[in-house]
Amino acid sequence: MSSGYEILSLDDLPAYESPNHGDARLMPLRSRLGLRAFGANCWTAETGKQIVPTHEEDSGHEELYVVVRGRARFTLGDETFDAPAGTLVHARAGTTREAFAEEAGTIVLAVGATPGEAFEAQGWDDVVVAFAEATAGNVDRGRATMREVAARDADHWGPEYNLACFEARFGDRELAFEHLRAAAARNPDEVQGYLRHDPDLDSLRDDPRFQELVA
Amino acid sequence: MTHVHVDELDRIELPEGFVWRPVRRRFDIRAFGVNAYSPREAGAQVVEEHTEQQLEHEEIYLVLRGRARFTLDGAEHELGPGELVFVRDPKVRRGAVGLTDDTIVLALGGKPGEAYEPSAWEAMFAAVPAMEREDWDEAIRLHEEALADQPEHPALLYNLACMEARGGRRLDALLHLKRATELDPKWIDAAAKDSDFASIRDEPGFPG
Repeated sequence: MSSGYEILSLDDLPAYESPNHGDARLMPLRSRLGLRAFGANCWTAETGKQIVPTHEEDSGHEELYVVVRGRARFTLGDETFDAPAGTLVHARAGTTREAFAEEAGTIVLAVGATPGEAFEAQGWDDVVVAFAEATAGNVDRGRATMREVAARDADHWGPEYNLACFEARFGDRELAFEHLRAAAARNPDEVQGYLRHDPDLDSLRDDPRFQELVA
Repeated sequence: MTHVHVDELDRIELPEGFVWRPVRRRFDIRAFGVNAYSPREAGAQVVEEHTEQQLEHEEIYLVLRGRARFTLDGAEHELGPGELVFVRDPKVRRGAVGLTDDTIVLALGGKPGEAYEPSAWEAMFAAVPAMEREDWDEAIRLHEEALADQPEHPALLYNLACMEARGGRRLDALLHLKRATELDPKWIDAAAKDSDFASIRDEPGFPG
């Protein structure tokens, strides 16, 4: 096969549980293909479960959801509608949206990017995969993915914070504090907002160093 | 409008044998390119033979329904529902034939590292039905709408001039053709042979 193109069946994508996405399971397409021009990932869920988590896309992305297989029930703002396979659903940034799978094997493809801006992967999908890998026992593989994400966005607080969460849950307590301090140095207000309530950090809460970080 | 089923999308039959089902224009999507395609009948083209060397887009072609036989740099691959081809290299020549009447292929595209801009060909495709019924006012309107976003696009200006010449707007046609050839001189040769300009070719100021 030429390296200029790649053929893939969506059935070959693994489906990962995500602590931040409820019952929806991520089928990571963007990272699998190495997409650079727009974001695209698939989601699946058991019948009756949420397949598109409730959110407003505060990233600024406009999104197109494509029901590739099965059937879903979407809600956009105040509007709820049935979406059989072949339905295309458009949501602008700021519109609250969610969807529930109505049939077994339902797959929804979500495509997104911000109008007027070059697409940059935010890495949240890589983080889901890294946490799932670590949960399955592949902590080193998960850590490597987390560090790749952090290296792509070295100035932002988020990747350091996520690394702290990762280490708090699966790895090294000392590294967890190191990453937490680095995140707090970059954006103390954002980190304070998460510190108090994030269950990923529960293993650190009895440490005096954690109390020092909580303002 | 927040949602549509692919079967409810407009059907614009193009001379190459495939049917364009506009998605981006339907929702006025501004962040990435997305359109659906179906064949005129089983065995007809569903994805036009082309490369992306001009726009430098990376593209995904996802088969939503039916079956399609893709040809990628000469190699054939048959894809069914839920299967996709991701063409990361714009130089790859790609095209597909729909093997069933109901085949639907969804195409997604954009240029890495750059904000998306709607492709000029969409306005040209959208104008095909108006051109076929010789509704030049509507064809001109569709081109002017696209030029509002991309006022210096040579191919759009050239096509607008074609529509204006056919519609009897001789002065507008000359002005827009002149601008198109100033922006890209390749249109001078094209205009010399283009039958759309038969009515204005002898006018003073016709490029050449």
